Amino acid sequence: MIITRKSLPRRTLLKGLGAAIALPLLDAMVPAMTTAACTVASPTKLRRLSYIYMPMGCDISRWTLPGDDLSELSATLSPLAPVRQHVTAISNIENRNAYPGTHATSNCSFLSCATAKRTESTDYYLGTTVDQIAARHIGQQTQLPSLELSMDLMATVGQCDNGYACVYQNNLSWSSPTTPLPSEAHPRIVFETLFGEGGSSADRQAALKKRASLLDSVGDEITRLQNTLGASDREKVNEYLNSVREVERRIQQAESNAKENPLPDLDRPLGVPDAYADHARLMFDLQLLAFQGDITRVTTFQLARETSNRTYPEIGVADPHHPLTHHGNDPEKIAKVAKINQFHVSLFADFLQRLQQTKEADGTLLDHSLLLYGSGMGDPNVHDHQNLPILVAGGAAGNMRGGQHIRFGQPAPMANLHLTLLNKVGIDLDSFADSSGQMDELFEPLSI
Amino acid sequence: MTRAISDLHRGSTPTCYHLRITLVARPTTLAASMNSWNPVSRSRQYRPHSLRWFLVAFLPVTLLAHSTHAADDVNTFVSTYCFDCHSDATSEGHLNLQSLSTQQSTTHGGAWEKVIRKLRSRQMPPVGSLRPSDVEYDSVTGDLEQQLDQHFAAHPVPGRTDSIRRLTRMEYQNAIRDLLGLQIDATALLPADESSHGFDNITVGELSPTLLNRYVSAAQKIARLAVGGTSREPSGDTFRIRPDITQEDHVPGLPLGTRGGTLIPYNFPQDGEYDVQVLLSRDRNEHVEGLSGKHELIVLLDRLEVGRFTVQPPKDSKDHSLVDADLKLKLKTTAGEHQLGVTFVRKSDSILETVRQPYQARFNMHRHPRTSPAVFQVSVIGPFDAEGPGNSLSRQRLFVSVPATAENEDTAAQEILNTLLRRAYRRPIDAADRAQPLQFFKNARDEAGFDAGIEAALASVLVNPNFLFRIERDPAGAKAGDVYRISDVELASRLSFFLWNSIPDDELLSLAEQKMLGDPNVLDQQVTRMLLDPRSESLVSNFADQWLYLRNLDTVFPDMRLFPDFDDNLRQAMRRETELLFANILQQDCSVLELLSADYTFLNERLAKHYGIPHIYGDRFRRVNLDPASHRGGLLRHASILTVTSYATRTSPVIRGHWILKNIVGSPPPPPPDNVPALKDNTVLDSLPIRERLAQHRADPNCAGCHNLMDPVGFSLENFDAIGRWRERDADHLVDALGGLPDGSEFTGVDGLEEGLLQRPELFVGTLTDKLMTYALGRGVETHDAPAIRKIVRDARSTDYRFSSLIQGIVHSIPFQMRTAE
Repeated sequence: MIITRKSLPRRTLLKGLGAAIALPLLDAMVPAMTTAACTVASPTKLRRLSYIYMPMGCDISRWTLPGDDLSELSATLSPLAPVRQHVTAISNIENRNAYPGTHATSNCSFLSCATAKRTESTDYYLGTTVDQIAARHIGQQTQLPSLELSMDLMATVGQCDNGYACVYQNNLSWSSPTTPLPSEAHPRIVFETLFGEGGSSADRQAALKKRASLLDSVGDEITRLQNTLGASDREKVNEYLNSVREVERRIQQAESNAKENPLPDLDRPLGVPDAYADHARLMFDLQLLAFQGDITRVTTFQLARETSNRTYPEIGVADPHHPLTHHGNDPEKIAKVAKINQFHVSLFADFLQRLQQTKEADGTLLDHSLLLYGSGMGDPNVHDHQNLPILVAGGAAGNMRGGQHIRFGQPAPMANLHLTLLNKVGIDLDSFADSSGQMDELFEPLSI
Repeated sequence: MTRAISDLHRGSTPTCYHLRITLVARPTTLAASMNSWNPVSRSRQYRPHSLRWFLVAFLPVTLLAHSTHAADDVNTFVSTYCFDCHSDATSEGHLNLQSLSTQQSTTHGGAWEKVIRKLRSRQMPPVGSLRPSDVEYDSVTGDLEQQLDQHFAAHPVPGRTDSIRRLTRMEYQNAIRDLLGLQIDATALLPADESSHGFDNITVGELSPTLLNRYVSAAQKIARLAVGGTSREPSGDTFRIRPDITQEDHVPGLPLGTRGGTLIPYNFPQDGEYDVQVLLSRDRNEHVEGLSGKHELIVLLDRLEVGRFTVQPPKDSKDHSLVDADLKLKLKTTAGEHQLGVTFVRKSDSILETVRQPYQARFNMHRHPRTSPAVFQVSVIGPFDAEGPGNSLSRQRLFVSVPATAENEDTAAQEILNTLLRRAYRRPIDAADRAQPLQFFKNARDEAGFDAGIEAALASVLVNPNFLFRIERDPAGAKAGDVYRISDVELASRLSFFLWNSIPDDELLSLAEQKMLGDPNVLDQQVTRMLLDPRSESLVSNFADQWLYLRNLDTVFPDMRLFPDFDDNLRQAMRRETELLFANILQQDCSVLELLSADYTFLNERLAKHYGIPHIYGDRFRRVNLDPASHRGGLLRHASILTVTSYATRTSPVIRGHWILKNIVGSPPPPPPDNVPALKDNTVLDSLPIRERLAQHRADPNCAGCHNLMDPVGFSLENFDAIGRWRERDADHLVDALGGLPDGSEFTGVDGLEEGLLQRPELFVGTLTDKLMTYALGRGVETHDAPAIRKIVRDARSTDYRFSSLIQGIVHSIPFQMRTAE
């Protein structure tokens, strides 16, 4: 894990073996490079969205909750027990635009609710995904408008699935109908994007000081240069000085923030942990840090790609995932699929717990975030896109009602859920893709 | 460069001159005459309003006796052929020649330059109206040019390159190479530059907070790498190979007998141990692609094997998760750049037995899968157990003085900084320049020792505006509009950034400091020396790549269904062919017309197969003399250019025509007007031949004006498909390559096009000179530069337009050596 107290041996952590080490509680951690006005430490409501994708549907019989709330959990959802009051399960959501039933469209329509143009070439066309709409609105004050993560180190080109180009299957996020956003699975590369070199708080203070003194020298030298120039060029050089001052301001802000809220050690992970669970927890940790530091407010995370052939020996499933999902109603295979589903849910439940344990301002990170967990495929044996497994979590700051099981009589469009979540974080849209309304059931009615 | 040169020397028998650049027929020593333009004798200089120059005979003062006569001719010509359309305020193209030719103004030189351009390319008067004979054309344009040139000679307008210009990303990278002996990848450190006038070194005046931030980070990183400073912890780099690279064959630079993989020039920061990890490429099912049987993966450091692994499919399982899990090794190495290779041992060369001709491209799981495993990613992490900074090239270059004792540290640092600062700022330095870096040195030295001090000082130099910006100053006391010769030191930088895309070396800088560059012989020698230096490869990789749009190739993705045999290997081979032809003509000092007319080209197996040229084997490029039936040769037959001017699914005669008019002929049609109605897709049947589809489009008079010029040029290349293959048929239609040029000439195919272009070589040479000038000056070429360009072209004619005559011409030109004060 990457947040550590100094007493923890660093190397052990870098190897990604520290699965059992919980994150320390870092109250009111205000990050580098942000101004106080837009950090989470200011009075807040819901301001973050996180989308977590589970590939290839699930065994719905072991997923679905028996009652109207989470007091009694199904087998697959049992890991949610410690956070059950913060989670709502929704049954009978469908995504019509994901048809025809393919893996490619399960993935790419999950957040876009758009119909992918069937092509295996470079003229692919989808729609803008909901996370990117959010990034345009709530992502603009942060260092990164959004963060796209995945677990698979691979890049495929050409055709991947029934005449669909690989981009549909590889990319969950699209910033425009023709611009898929590649995700990153390498923890070090993600870390460096977020934190640069990291280090202890003293290291980071020293690094900031070095930058500041370099900038001072730039300012001095530009002034020296300015005195040797003609009037018209002096004007231009003045603009350079403004740039110097702007960067200096940011550094000072970061320095004073760091003094008021000492940061923990941030140790840069170097390699990719061998075990899937360690790798996944590391990726969740990075999201938590990115939220905590208000480095980004929008994340997407693919727990595995559609058609993933990953095996999960750590939970006793030695068969590859994709062939298992074509179980042909073999009860043994179905049980294994359910085991993988439960494993994925348990990683999500861990993440929720850590968000819940991380305090900020007048609540916790979980209170101020809305998380959507689910799959774009319903029954993987037949590749359908109805009765999708969907969970919504967090959002207490926006009066989300946790602990419910919402069951729609008629299939409800996935786009309605997306629209609802967008509206809750303050993005005022009337419709999204094929939405027909909002899911008011998720939230307490406003009391006037 | 090393590659370009060695390829050339190995593969070619030079047909042209060895690079022995002597300037033939440079009638006056321009530099000598320019000495009179120094600021001291400013009283004699041109003031814009004190003198007027005149175009036509109505004017009271004439330049020379024969000008009167010439002006009469011009006037008659203009009234006969032009006034029909260009005679009043509402004239076509907002050009009123009637008023122009009666006005006594110095301000219309620009308009007349445009007239010359239209006449030279025979675009005006338009085909179909009353047109002059060739003799009339030539005599009138000649007269016009002569008058403008004479005026320019008497009253030069050198123009003004911006005083403060930031280094481009490539200039920065090359400057670091030449300053510190350190090869960095600037694209990973700095944001991309904006391009204007076709080049990325024009819009370089800004310094945004984002850019400044990146400069600070880059400076720290480079300083640490150059000194070999210790970092807090090991760090790492990850290299990923593009997924559309076929790895079935030998990769250039790796030993023969290997297949696939990659060669990474890597800067190891310190002596010590490093972890290297390799991952293999996987398909959508996470199976290692192409894995059947055993394959041996080897890791090489500077071509020596340092690790060997066997990869093979797991027994009794389809789970490939562990296949490449153990491809890790530790290697011990010294600091500095080493070549890290990861590749496979080549297995048998047995020919694939397939019903159809097998594809060359192999990376696409369903259509044409890999037949053997491929490298996906290489990570290097370290140093572990670091043993210090070692003796890397960058340290040798940086530490010109090493302190024997602690008392000597200050003196040593002074010496190191003196050398570093002079090179970095490209000028003599003074105590004020040293103050800041010395302070950085002292502070860091007191804290962490001598090396740390030098590292801190270096970082401060790399963010110093004197390094990051190219600065040209008006001489003291210059008044706005004054024309002066730039200083020798400024000229040295203009030269080195033009020819090397980098900073001057010690020799050039020393000559400049001794004010020797005003001597035309010294200048000639320097230009010759610089062109022979490998650094002049930047004229290929930076100038030609931008001029010919080769840079855009990386963003070209032909439709995979229509062109399934396209992969990155082919893309890079296409680019290389054009680069090598250009490099050859530059190195061998051939006539630049050979760019169009070459009867040879440079091929490797991949590209030769693409062209259907037999008997070329291996990935090495070599010069190949061509049979006319091969349809290959000059630039216009290169797959690179034909592909970059096509759509993903089909050719575009419009884009090709526009490209030729803009980059070869030098008279691009204006951008489309705002009110152009959008083409409705369904109004033109998809099944019609492209010619008929475009004809329907040209039926709209709004479009016809420009498309009548562009489209016929492009039609003549219709025998080449969207990835540059020769074709006789386009879908169900026979290709019709009947084309034409804006001068009204008609011909068939690329042969006719080349012939038409070569008939008036001054158009192509002028265009190339125009582009070179833009690149050399870092500003758009204006109409007032036209006389200087004409002079260069005219002087180059006697050498049959050898490349060096253009370069020398530019270097000696007024716009390059002089500047207008502001």
